[in-house]
Amino acid sequence: MIAHLVCVLSLVVAYILQTTIFSQTPLLSGTADLILLFLAAWSLQENVENSWLWTVIAGVLISMVSAMPLYAPLFGYLGVVGISRLLQRRVWRVPILAMFIVTLLSTFFQQALYVIALQINGSPIAWGESLDMVILPSALLNLIFALPIYAVVNDIVGRMNPLEVEP
Amino acid sequence: MKFFKSKYTQTIVIVMAVSGLIFLALGGYLTPLYNLTLNPLISFQSWLSVRYLSLREYLTSPREVTELREQNALLESQVTQLQTQLIEMEEQLAEAEVCFALLDFGRTNPEYDYIAATVIGREISPFLQYILIDKGTDDGIQFGMPAVTQQGLVGRVDAVIANAARIKLITDSTSVVNVHLQSAETEAQLVGSLTGDVSLDMIPLDIKVDPGDVVLTSGLGGNYPPNIFIGQVLSVQQRDNALFQTASVQPIVDFSSINAVLVVVNFEAVDTSPLIPED
Repeated sequence: MIAHLVCVLSLVVAYILQTTIFSQTPLLSGTADLILLFLAAWSLQENVENSWLWTVIAGVLISMVSAMPLYAPLFGYLGVVGISRLLQRRVWRVPILAMFIVTLLSTFFQQALYVIALQINGSPIAWGESLDMVILPSALLNLIFALPIYAVVNDIVGRMNPLEVEP
Repeated sequence: MKFFKSKYTQTIVIVMAVSGLIFLALGGYLTPLYNLTLNPLISFQSWLSVRYLSLREYLTSPREVTELREQNALLESQVTQLQTQLIEMEEQLAEAEVCFALLDFGRTNPEYDYIAATVIGREISPFLQYILIDKGTDDGIQFGMPAVTQQGLVGRVDAVIANAARIKLITDSTSVVNVHLQSAETEAQLVGSLTGDVSLDMIPLDIKVDPGDVVLTSGLGGNYPPNIFIGQVLSVQQRDNALFQTASVQPIVDFSSINAVLVVVNFEAVDTSPLIPED
């Protein structure tokens, strides 16, 4: 039950930091996505089992707050956790490397999904400009913040599930 | 007891509880609880945003230039206000000369009522240009109301809840504003872009537009009040075989550092969508 509480509190903090600080600090037109990084780091942890549940809840709530159409944030974050879970079983020996790979793939997946959703909705957004001005800068920022976020989440999960020492 | 301790049962209970809460919220039964929860959240978000913006401004401004910069900003603000007043006065005078008797002073010189709101955040997606403010329906904010600063037009209210609202900036790629070019005496459309730059479209080819021309809202379409200052023309582009010419615009508002906005509460946007024929 503590895992659920920690997860929801962390998501609320991530949302506030995202809207107040990270979204106001762009590189070109791209910004880091703290919620994506948190969900990626959270679902990479071996002891965590509630990542799908809170991804759905967070995705629905953020879709309601965001101006993105077609519940794109929900599907974006589901993709993040999907990629994360897929890679967790394959690159489990090097979790930091897994975090970087997940961050990169997730950012490209999420931003591509956003472009498609906006194009379906009628926005005049071009792929080339999106890649140059938003997707690549966002990926770079996400990669920069991936390590500290992973360290924080890893520490939180470690405190929730301390290792049992045999006498 | 083992049944209740299993993780599947816990998950089912949480899913049912969350679904129940969402349905109750959609039915409006949780509004008092919703307000009780959101108020501290928005207050904290506002507190953090204001401090972050202050800290960023403090860190990015050289110490010795800060005072000069403040004075410069104040003077720029005054110049902009005077420029806007001058433009309005010139327009009023021109109309008065033509048909003074028929002039509706209420239309040409409207006294807008404003509500000041603090910017508490920005849209999560970098593809969209929206800001979040700390005033909502409880303060009289409604969908479609225009938002300005002391310098010029910012955007319009796109979504609103009890104590917060989301404003779509004129720099958003889906934003279209009907504008009037002061010197060229013509109408055009101001469109946003992915990068936050704004440009003019639909300028007739036979109209001469020069860099420095003032861009104002025209009021056409009923989404914005007329004669709100937007910016100045930077450069004009004419393409071969194009039906219209385009122009880049330097907006007067610095959208990257908006701390507060004024929402015009006595302007009612006109919904023209029923008049547009469906395909």
